[in-house]
Amino acid sequence: MSPTELPVPNTAATSTRTATVEFSGQKGEYAKLWLVNLLLSIITLGIYSAWAKVRNNQYLYGHTQIEGHRFQYLAQPMQILRGRIIAVLVFVAYSLASSFNPALAAVMMLALIALFPWLIIQGLKFTLRKSAYRGVRFSFEASYWAIVGYFFLLPLLGMVTFGLAMPWVAQKTQKYLYENATYGGKPFSVPTSAAEYYKAVLMCLGAVVLLMAAIFVIVFTFSMTSVLIGDASNPLTQKGMAGAGMVIGAAVYFFAIYLLSAIYQGVIRNHLFNCLHINGVFHAHSAIRILPFAVLMMSNALLLICTLGLAFPVTVVRKQRFLAAATSFTLEPGIDHLVNTVPETHSAFGEEAAGLFDADLSLT
Amino acid sequence: MASNPVIRGLYQAANSSASCPALVTTLNGNILVNHSDEQGEILFAPAGDYQFGDAVPGLPVELIFADGSRFIPDDSRLRWQQLGHKPGMIEWLERHWSAVLAATLLVPAFMWLMITQVIPAGSNAVAGLLPDAVAQQLGSQSLAIIDRTYMNPSELSDTEQQAISQRWQHLLTTLNIPPENYRLEFRSWSGGPNAMALPDGTVIVTDSIARLMAQQPEQLDAVLLHEIGHVEHKHSLKILSQTTAMSLMFTMMFGDVEGLGEVLLGAGTSFAQASFSRDMESDADQFAFKELQTIGRTPQDFADAMKTLAQHYQPDAELAAGEEKSLFDYLRSHPATAERIAAAEALAKEMLQ
Repeated sequence: MSPTELPVPNTAATSTRTATVEFSGQKGEYAKLWLVNLLLSIITLGIYSAWAKVRNNQYLYGHTQIEGHRFQYLAQPMQILRGRIIAVLVFVAYSLASSFNPALAAVMMLALIALFPWLIIQGLKFTLRKSAYRGVRFSFEASYWAIVGYFFLLPLLGMVTFGLAMPWVAQKTQKYLYENATYGGKPFSVPTSAAEYYKAVLMCLGAVVLLMAAIFVIVFTFSMTSVLIGDASNPLTQKGMAGAGMVIGAAVYFFAIYLLSAIYQGVIRNHLFNCLHINGVFHAHSAIRILPFAVLMMSNALLLICTLGLAFPVTVVRKQRFLAAATSFTLEPGIDHLVNTVPETHSAFGEEAAGLFDADLSLT
Repeated sequence: MASNPVIRGLYQAANSSASCPALVTTLNGNILVNHSDEQGEILFAPAGDYQFGDAVPGLPVELIFADGSRFIPDDSRLRWQQLGHKPGMIEWLERHWSAVLAATLLVPAFMWLMITQVIPAGSNAVAGLLPDAVAQQLGSQSLAIIDRTYMNPSELSDTEQQAISQRWQHLLTTLNIPPENYRLEFRSWSGGPNAMALPDGTVIVTDSIARLMAQQPEQLDAVLLHEIGHVEHKHSLKILSQTTAMSLMFTMMFGDVEGLGEVLLGAGTSFAQASFSRDMESDADQFAFKELQTIGRTPQDFADAMKTLAQHYQPDAELAAGEEKSLFDYLRSHPATAERIAAAEALAKEMLQ
């Protein structure tokens, strides 16, 4: 019997069911993989970094499973390397031009700006086409002018309204990006509402007010105590008290940064995922709890600072585990009857050029 | 080869989301995939008709069949030794802390070699190959930028300018340097006494250094020779190609690394550049020392010029040689002034004996 004419009967439930996301990556295991690949990249002057990227993604995708099916990262290192070489050549040409011929450099800059929306599209397209679940690939299509509108014109509107329109702009942009992604040829639906984005911003503002109040109380308490116990005869106590106040203030500031980004990212991610679905295929769910998320972000930041960035793989595993635990899917019978619609070939230049010129963006 | 035990896993159809639990039996390199509930055969793949997926730590190695369908074993440690498959070198490295340790030692050694040997040698070679038009273009552009941003037209009188121009012409002819390769420019600069060389042979003298050394013109000669040294050694072009090579190297090495990258990128590049720059200043000093002797003077002129400059910038500082030596030497773009004076005086003394 030839395998092509074989209808594979699916013994997994063909009914609607709920599945959790499992992340099985281990900190030590991933740290070794990341370090070895980093060091190989350095020793080969970055040439190996194309392979390193594939190895890292293979690990992270492969250790993420839903219903026992692992995600797959399918990019070939040579595709990425080709893209990187072209991007490096463009970069060298540009830096030489800016030393020898500023006029030429300016023309190149304009050309790159004009290419930018295309690079964004190519980057997302490449990443998604190289991602698969159950043998079926994701993909992305978008029009150049739509990207110009969402990434250049709408933010201008946000500025004109002094940021008041920004949450609306963010909602529109993310909705556009998600709804132009497909899985097995079927587009995602993400009926998000701008109201949730405004809610996230208001929650952040509320947190700012509370934190300011907290800082005021702390500073006030410390300065009062220093006045009361540290009288003029003991300037050391005064200094000590003021110093302690400063330290606590800095700690609150540090805490505030991560609390605010945890609130915003958590609320938006929950909303986006709870809206994300393909009719008849799946509905996503996300239940990130803000405080634990803030604690995770803060401890990850501390880890990175204390190890000069070497703890990066550990922070990645911690974050993936946290996000996986907060995510689940309702799977519908359609998931078992998808057909892959994405052919193998696609150039990586867009993605790599986008990365080199710092235009990277990701779908959380 | 005898029949091997049955391996459990999942059979994933090609190009569709259909899949089913399956059992694999291997025999002499051939593979038989069966339904796990004994409903019969899914496929038979003779040796050579299938490939192995990449071995990634903690993940099973998949079998990929000719039509693109896959068998994914349940056992994440399975590496298919029974089919004669050898797990890759990369996975072995990724699994061992000893590999991490070895590479950690190798990386600094490698970087040191690149920064101190390979890149300087490479960019010196490149600088030698660059056509003259590049130097011309760079020079005229730098001058335009200097004029637009921080220097003003000279306020020296014509007689003052002429005095210096004459000595400059005399220097060039005595040293047999083609005068059309060089050009002397006067500028007023709020930064104080200074002189600088541009890659196309333009040497800029600030009004304040001209006035500072008006009574000791032989000191200004020494300074001008130092600047000519920069041009003759093509230092600007070397710096340009070194900076480009360096930042490219660091971007390629660490561009991918989040966290660590930013810190190393900044620190590494400026650290290495300060070191290049110091070497180039010493080269230009050496050129001045040598050519001072050619025109029948001694490096003492250079030492005196440095002293005059030091006196102007730090009237109270002691300039005993060796005193300033510290860790900061590695961060300086110029060698310590005291060292330069000492070097010049030592050479001058040697000549007298």
